[in-house]
Amino acid sequence: MELDYTISILGFILQGTGVTLKVYVITLVFSIPLGILCALGKLSSFKPLNWFLGAYTWLFRGTPLLLQLFFAYYGLPALGLELDRMSAAYVTFVINYAAYFTEIFRGGIQSIDSGQYEAAKALGMTYAQTMRRIILPQATKVVLPPMGNEAINLIKDTALCAALSVPEILRNAKVTVARDFNVEAYIIAALIYLVFTFIIIRVFRALEKKYSYYSN
Amino acid sequence: MEIIRVENLHKNFGKLEVLKGINFSAQKGEVITIIGPSGSGKSTLLRCMNGLEEADEGQVITDARIGMVFQSFNLFPHMSVIENLIEAPIIVKKMPKSDVERIADDLLAKVGLMDKREAYPCQLSGGQKQRVAIARALAMEPEIMLFDEPTSALDPQLTGEVLQVMRQLAREDMTMIVVTHEIGFAREVSDRVIFMNQGVIVAEGTPEEMLIDPQIHDLRAFLAMDKKKETIETPECEKVSD
Repeated sequence: MELDYTISILGFILQGTGVTLKVYVITLVFSIPLGILCALGKLSSFKPLNWFLGAYTWLFRGTPLLLQLFFAYYGLPALGLELDRMSAAYVTFVINYAAYFTEIFRGGIQSIDSGQYEAAKALGMTYAQTMRRIILPQATKVVLPPMGNEAINLIKDTALCAALSVPEILRNAKVTVARDFNVEAYIIAALIYLVFTFIIIRVFRALEKKYSYYSN
Repeated sequence: MEIIRVENLHKNFGKLEVLKGINFSAQKGEVITIIGPSGSGKSTLLRCMNGLEEADEGQVITDARIGMVFQSFNLFPHMSVIENLIEAPIIVKKMPKSDVERIADDLLAKVGLMDKREAYPCQLSGGQKQRVAIARALAMEPEIMLFDEPTSALDPQLTGEVLQVMRQLAREDMTMIVVTHEIGFAREVSDRVIFMNQGVIVAEGTPEEMLIDPQIHDLRAFLAMDKKKETIETPECEKVSD
């Protein structure tokens, strides 16, 4: 490896890192609240909503994310909805990850003892107050480990955007390798992913520690 | 003055008829204990009174604010003791935090747990948890307190501290309806004892009438069985008599 060469390609790959982070952050920011809402919907007693959300999580967890990306970018225009490649990536990732988060939060909420609902109700709290103040804070602790796994999966899944030529880390590395006949760009890309997963693991470890102040 | 009345209350869980037409009322300041074998509908009756269960037929008539204490405490584990107490008054009654904290501190002093103010439920013994739960219910300033087997989940040596707090409440003329297996406690504090069996009120009366030498066969059988259970549970009484 020559340092001059490394520096010359690093800038381009780091540009891709910015795009990767954008997809990552936007996916988390929108799919977590969406997942919580869908989880509450799935736990509601309104049958049509249960059915709809069941179909939703089955569809998006049951087909490849790459297929969903292709469909959003190449398939939707045939149905009259034209999305640029970034929008297609955002929409697909948010909807796909929200499907996983729906199931994670549903499990987390269901793990909370029914006595908690009863105590809250006996104290006069409404359903919304009970959820916001009593159930969701406790469910958060429960879902942290599976959420950490998903957070790591997501940073790696963003590489699928390369298939739509979204200029993220992997795509920029691939372009560099093809141009220079030198695999170093792939190694740099791998190192960047490793740094991110390291940070994510640390963040979730810190969150789990923060929530360890109580046990049930 | 009548504070709550239950009229012809029916409750089914699927095919199982748990309450088969319950009628009774409580006067302000009265302490009522409800006794009876498990599955007799005692807890369900309490839960219908504060709306945790919806009756299938009949009604509960009251304007009073009702607080409840559960067998399994149901403290909020992610909140400290003081946070458990002030949560509902702040978000339900929209009271200012400083006022609520003053009330909560008085209540903690009353149940003898001022030194556990900042502790979390997982750091407390069962008896302490139940005392916090009583204080939490009282923080909403209820006019009626329902107790659903408040000492049944406790080790025998921890029941005393909880009963002591309840005794104190009874002396302060709180209206209390207590489902309990503590016959001694029932005899000591109740104004009236209700005996339930298989979803109906079989008998009610003063503690003397009900607990000392009752004439009703089912109640006699229940008390005799309860006494036997107590003998088995208390090691120092473990003597082979025959």
